[in-house]
Amino acid sequence: MRSPSLSRTAGAAVLAAMLAACSSTSSTSTTSATSATGAPSDAASAVPAASGATIKIGMDFPLSGQDAAVGRPSANGALLAIEQANAAGFAGGKYTLSAVILDDTVQGKHDPAAGAQNVKTLIADPSVLAMVGPYNSNVAKAEIPLTNDAELVQISPANTNDGLTTGDDAKKLRTAHPDVNSYFRVCTRDSRQGLALAQFARKLGWHKVYVIDDNETYGKGLADVFDPSFQKLGGTVLGHDHITANQQDFKALLTKIKAQHPDAVFYGGDVSTGGALLREQMADVGMSATPFMGGDGIGTSEFLKVAGPMANQTYYSIAAPDAAKLPSASAFVAAYRKRFGSDIGAYSANSYTAAKIEIAAIEKAIAANGGKMPTRADVRNEVAATKGFASPIGTIGFDADGDTTAPILTLKKVQDGKPITYDQLVLKT
Amino acid sequence: MHLDAATLLQQLINGLSQGGIYALIALGYTMVYGIIELINFAHGDVYTLGTFFSLAVLSLLGVTGVVSGPMLVVVVAAAIVVAMLLCGLTGVLIERLAYRRLRNAPKLAPLITAIGMSFILENLMLYWRGPSPVPFPQVVPNPELALGAVTVQAKQIMVVLLAVVLMLLLQSFVANTRLGKAMRATAQDKDAAQLMGIDINTTIALTFLIGSALAGAAGFVSGVYYGSTWFFNGFAAGLKAFTAAVLGGIGNIAGAMLGGFLIGLIEALTTQFIGDQWSNVLVFSILVIVLIFRPSGILGESLPAKV
Repeated sequence: MRSPSLSRTAGAAVLAAMLAACSSTSSTSTTSATSATGAPSDAASAVPAASGATIKIGMDFPLSGQDAAVGRPSANGALLAIEQANAAGFAGGKYTLSAVILDDTVQGKHDPAAGAQNVKTLIADPSVLAMVGPYNSNVAKAEIPLTNDAELVQISPANTNDGLTTGDDAKKLRTAHPDVNSYFRVCTRDSRQGLALAQFARKLGWHKVYVIDDNETYGKGLADVFDPSFQKLGGTVLGHDHITANQQDFKALLTKIKAQHPDAVFYGGDVSTGGALLREQMADVGMSATPFMGGDGIGTSEFLKVAGPMANQTYYSIAAPDAAKLPSASAFVAAYRKRFGSDIGAYSANSYTAAKIEIAAIEKAIAANGGKMPTRADVRNEVAATKGFASPIGTIGFDADGDTTAPILTLKKVQDGKPITYDQLVLKT
Repeated sequence: MHLDAATLLQQLINGLSQGGIYALIALGYTMVYGIIELINFAHGDVYTLGTFFSLAVLSLLGVTGVVSGPMLVVVVAAAIVVAMLLCGLTGVLIERLAYRRLRNAPKLAPLITAIGMSFILENLMLYWRGPSPVPFPQVVPNPELALGAVTVQAKQIMVVLLAVVLMLLLQSFVANTRLGKAMRATAQDKDAAQLMGIDINTTIALTFLIGSALAGAAGFVSGVYYGSTWFFNGFAAGLKAFTAAVLGGIGNIAGAMLGGFLIGLIEALTTQFIGDQWSNVLVFSILVIVLIFRPSGILGESLPAKV
């Protein structure tokens, strides 16, 4: 369903209503999905201890723009974890979990200011004890100072920018509590993703590559890792250009690139910032035979649709394992299919895992608090202490920065209009 | 940085064809400004509407790929005429609903209204066709002419030719017809024109009709040229076209076209020699410099006879 909404609140409300409508068809479901406006839905609620207090888990994803193709399956993954926890008698049935799902899309595109506003909404509700999201790194940059201040634990399934967890950049984001980290992620970082892509590019036999990025937190970060890594591995970077927002014409840039005869073009960025148009116009300047490579930002169905036949010969990475191929994820994949009637998205299993970790942390915090409602800081501390957590995407823990201790990367190739899994790498930490 | 003549020539061709699209949009901007001194920010969105309207016609006719033979003329004519007609009507409607009542209000009021109209149109298109780029079928056969090492696509020639032809037609319409005379009179002095028996409401509506119809034609051409569009496309294109109109001399029809081609060329050459992210910086820097030394633009403000 596509609901390009006039306002993101309306979009979130529509989605929540849709999810609620779906959940009422499943007799085992006990989630009471809450809409953005706070009105509880009419979803059939079969919780025995309905009198128990409600603990909410917030979500912030792009749900209506071009990024909705990846944002929605991510939100669904976390929602499934919440529903399963309720069905299994969360915290001995004393509490009911519910999801608050918010949309950070403005004018069809993920928006940092909208994400920050959503996080403020979540923080204002005292029953929100944890959140899953966001999807985009620049949105995370706007949100981390807020969650840090409120000590609200936040786990992202998909942010890969290094500066969110490591180095001086991360310190600058932790403004209110510099020594405390409230932001975690279950995916790997761009320094590892960019390096893996550079190694992959060399393995494909490419010597000369032209690098383009979209000048956004994620895209530029990834390209800035790929560029030197590729050179260190003996390759040549012919040039590095940055495209601007809302650009439609890439013919001049591609003409310039073509004159230097690259073996491939590398793109750091998203589809919504120009990735697919760029690829599509390579045909116009006679570069149909030149392969294209990018990060997880172009690993979406939108890319395939817009780039059309030119999508072939594109290589990209996903900062998550190919859950469809992991034995540990088979139960999750089947449950997702049954619940939502569609296959999982690239980051669904990551979201599911993020929510699972938070649910387990909340349960522990309740137990440690003698069955009473824990504080946000209690939950955050439990999440930070996560170690050896068995999940569909492997055994997960967090290091001191908030990064996963089990980074996995999937490499994909588009062939005959469809992405196929090319390789799966377990990265060294 | 090595550079061969062929690449440079290729970039000039890229710049000219991109500039042709800007020029087509700038014509409408400049006409409206010339007559009521309003910067019609919704104009860029009318242009995007033109692409969607012609796309709707093509889907109705069941066209998904290249059309050849006499059918090509029919299909292209249908798409372009319907897009021009519907866009023209949209323009008239916008003028009637949003601008007419504000004609004697302080200048800022219609300007803000125009920005509001732009948002309304964008969101209507977002609602109609969704947020993603929508593919546009390659209707026109696109043989590539190889001139030595340089390739010129037929659709690039089409864009430039159409911009020049429409500009000439428009100029001769304004200069030689009765209605054109009425437009010039209204532009010079609304009250005096009314005293002379010119129906200025009709004349202004006609200006919006023609300007928006040109945006509709540009919309069809851009669909064929880029092979896709999306709801927000008109924002950036409209801004560039507006800059083109100011650069050439706002209100001046030939100036709008000159400005459009210049901006296209500046963009392509900046991308080649400096870097793609600097093209906007350079375009607007040149605008600032031109406005400092020639505040009325390169060819000067005013319609041809508004001396």
